[in-house]
Amino acid sequence: MIALSQLTKKFGGRGAVNDLTLAVPRGEMFGLLGHNGAGKSTAIGMMLGQVWPTRGEVRVCGHDVTTHRAQALQKVGAIFEAPAFYDYLSGWRNLEILSHYTAPTSAARIREVVDWVGLTGRELSPVKTYSHGMRARLALAQALLPQPEMLILDEPGNGLDPEGIAEMRHTIARLHRELGLTILLSSHQLAEVEQLCTRIAVLNQGQKVFEGLIADVKATRGRVQLKTPDFAAATALLRQRGIITDVADGKYISLGEGQTIAEATKLLVGANFSVEGIWQHEQTLEDFYLGLIKRKPEGEN
Amino acid sequence: MFFAQLKNELWKLFGKKRTYIGFGSFVLVQAVMMLMFKYTRWETQFETMLSGNGYLAADYISALTVALIMLTPQVLLLLPLYVALVGGDLVAKEAEDGTLRMILSRPISRFRLLLVKWIAGIIFAMLLVLALNAIALVFARMLFPWKGMFVFAPMLQTFGVFSAEDGAKLYFFSSLFISMNAIVLMSLSFMFSCLNIKPAAATILALSYLFINMVMENIPFFRDYQGWFITHHFDCWVRVFQSPTQWSRILQSELTLLAVSATAFLIGATVFHVRDIKS
Repeated sequence: MIALSQLTKKFGGRGAVNDLTLAVPRGEMFGLLGHNGAGKSTAIGMMLGQVWPTRGEVRVCGHDVTTHRAQALQKVGAIFEAPAFYDYLSGWRNLEILSHYTAPTSAARIREVVDWVGLTGRELSPVKTYSHGMRARLALAQALLPQPEMLILDEPGNGLDPEGIAEMRHTIARLHRELGLTILLSSHQLAEVEQLCTRIAVLNQGQKVFEGLIADVKATRGRVQLKTPDFAAATALLRQRGIITDVADGKYISLGEGQTIAEATKLLVGANFSVEGIWQHEQTLEDFYLGLIKRKPEGEN
Repeated sequence: MFFAQLKNELWKLFGKKRTYIGFGSFVLVQAVMMLMFKYTRWETQFETMLSGNGYLAADYISALTVALIMLTPQVLLLLPLYVALVGGDLVAKEAEDGTLRMILSRPISRFRLLLVKWIAGIIFAMLLVLALNAIALVFARMLFPWKGMFVFAPMLQTFGVFSAEDGAKLYFFSSLFISMNAIVLMSLSFMFSCLNIKPAAATILALSYLFINMVMENIPFFRDYQGWFITHHFDCWVRVFQSPTQWSRILQSELTLLAVSATAFLIGATVFHVRDIKS
């Protein structure tokens, strides 16, 4: 659905996105991660034809966005951080206005979408009277009106309270499940991405530093957490016997090739160490992400 | 689709309160002017001039004469301000508020979007002039009779007396030419609005351009180049009252103004097309 090829954007002399190649397959729930200024919004801007690439190609739904923007965006909906509306007009009028930039939209279709997002009864009130959550739902409604096949969500949970974030998360999952939409989700909220997405890409200072499946990230052979009153002595013994290769943070051990948790436990118990717990530490997306971001890009001092 | 988009653009424009500032202030200013007409001896000079030329002053101190006098300061000062204010908002305010990014996530082309906005701006400018002329006439008619019309504009060597019927026709014609002036100003502020600047900056730039033209046109050194200044062409609404009317001169000026408006739109559209729209 989205294919970025060696995409580069420079503002003045500063590179916002550098040589980004990315593919979002149809039906995927794809997470785009990165710190503030990593280039996520610029990359999304280029996907929507709002920002012109300095170099490279952006294809959406099979069409080059730079040369065939109208065809590329015909079946795309988008939601941005802090969605903006004509506050002095009603929600309904806003939907009418925005949907007509894509195609003529019937009142029945607007009613259907208003109902789907749960704004029925408030659609005729001015948007200035809407709560933050209602604005988020209106943003979702405007994105759904053209019956998209793909949604691009740029920080949709920003500014929402925990309840609003949970609601947004459920809605995104529902969109994927019930409507079968391909979703590109750009977010800071790693827990949200971890729960929703099947595949992620991580940007750091305009460069892609990772692209892969969340399942692979989690399955990466991680460390083993060992809980014992005398961690130093216990790990010294394990290291001496060649069961572990490394220790970290006063609680993690790395097993040597072919070694198992059972072997380590047996040795420690046999040597009268009190083992309060020993288990495989499953790597969270946060661990993985922070590990990636801490690695400085090549060429940086 | 185009008309649905235009209708929506008009909803956006006429849905906000600041669009009506111009309409409201015209009512206020004209009400104040009417009080001045009522409580001062403004007509003495006119009576002297008319009787000096063999006309009976009482036949020409009328609603049409007073309405035209009321229009002059407003056409010169207030009208440019209000059309520049709305023209400057058309694109820059949407960029500032973030709604432009919402629109440009849709498959509408930037040129089409600007064309719809520009036409909405033209409709606003024409309605504002229509309201200005109508309010002036209604207020003047409240205190003055429906009689012949007297027009005196020494700068353009215009001195004319007309029957009520002819005067009303010319008054209508003059409003068309005032509309063109308003459209030019709106187009200039629209052009500036397409740059990556604040709405107020777009309005100020358009008004600055107007005032610079006005000043330079009146510098003797530039006398031979007056045709290059837009303000030189803004006087058609008064020229229409000249006898005989110089239609070729009016047509030339109106075509020039039309070209200026179209050029301003195209420059704005070109600049907007190459811009990056960011949050």
